[in-house]
Amino acid sequence: MMTILNVIFDGLFAAIAGIGFGAISDPPLRAFKMIAILSALGHACRYCLMHFLGFDIATASLFGAIAIGFGSMWFGKKVYCPLTVLYIPALLPMIPGKFAYNMVFSLLMSLQTVKEPGMLNKYMEAFFSNTLVTCTVVFMLAIGATLPILLFPKITFSITRHKNKF
Amino acid sequence: MTTDDSFNSVCDFIAEYAAHLMGVGVHTSRVVRNSKRIGEAFGVKVQMCAFYNNIMISITDDETHEIYNKVIGISSHSISFEHNSELSALSWEIYDYHLPLNTIKEKYRKIVEAPRIHPLFVLLLVGFANASFCRLFDGDGISMAIVFSATLIGLYLKQQMLAKHINSFIVFIVSAFVASLAASVSLIFKDTTSSTAIATSVLYLVPGVPLINGMIDIVEGHVLIGFSRLTEAALLIMCIAIGLSFTLIMVKNSLI
Repeated sequence: MMTILNVIFDGLFAAIAGIGFGAISDPPLRAFKMIAILSALGHACRYCLMHFLGFDIATASLFGAIAIGFGSMWFGKKVYCPLTVLYIPALLPMIPGKFAYNMVFSLLMSLQTVKEPGMLNKYMEAFFSNTLVTCTVVFMLAIGATLPILLFPKITFSITRHKNKF
Repeated sequence: MTTDDSFNSVCDFIAEYAAHLMGVGVHTSRVVRNSKRIGEAFGVKVQMCAFYNNIMISITDDETHEIYNKVIGISSHSISFEHNSELSALSWEIYDYHLPLNTIKEKYRKIVEAPRIHPLFVLLLVGFANASFCRLFDGDGISMAIVFSATLIGLYLKQQMLAKHINSFIVFIVSAFVASLAASVSLIFKDTTSSTAIATSVLYLVPGVPLINGMIDIVEGHVLIGFSRLTEAALLIMCIAIGLSFTLIMVKNSLI
């Protein structure tokens, strides 16, 4: 029961985060609902892969981003919004903020402990591992969500076309 | 030309349309496609080459073989997904219904001049977003409340500085510094997740749009502008790191 609740809360907070980060970029009002659903879907997908199937954060992020990418293709057609309008805000809650922070912090501490080899090694190791995770995850997010544009260019090109409706 | 409108006025509109789309943060292939689509509706062939600050556009009339060339500057508007969606839809409307240029210009103005979401509303939404982000990184209730307030302060400052046209790199450094400094208040509370609060307080600044657009541009063959956009994103991320570093230098002893 607790597990299901954790997944629901993960999706819920990701949805709030997606809506807020989307608002910075002035999306159409009709897109907010879809951004929320996609954020929740992507983040909950990553959460499940990491916690139940033991995936690492980069691979789980890739699958989360693919889910968001294909979801935005489906929802985009419903609200006549280009894919990027829906998936960029939906991806932002998956940015590995804690790793990015640790990257900056360990870089700073490396510079502060140059004269203490033991501490320097520890912080440099932390810097490289955190940089590796941050860069890989961001790359995976971008690639995963862009996949539908590369696979189905015709569908994604005409997503804002209204004529089919009439 | 398949219309009575003058060749030059149609070309001027296409050039303005393309430059505006680039300015509001649309990836290059969409701008090229939309512009070509509008050109097709008027019976002209559009070729363009996009750079970070300029677009070179060449339009040929299929019947008279008249050629229009222009280098148009891209003015940096703030990112707008609304303009992206509505102007893309407008290009399809022009293509499907062959609207006259006057009607198109009227629709274009209406979209471009439509009011944006109110900044105070954005402020609140982003505050809640960052607080939720803090929760996603296992932050506790106190940290979430602190991140919410820190985000409000940092983003308000960013909005005010951008309105005064201060250099965006300076804006990012100052906003990141102020937001993380405000979040470092969490260090006063002994049993709270203060490092999570400081880490998440600056994440509203992450330049997601140039980052993703840069990647899309590169994989779609617009390598130069793709790298330009990624460079912009990388510089902004470095500015966030610099702002955050100022705070970390001040409070590092409490974090170790």
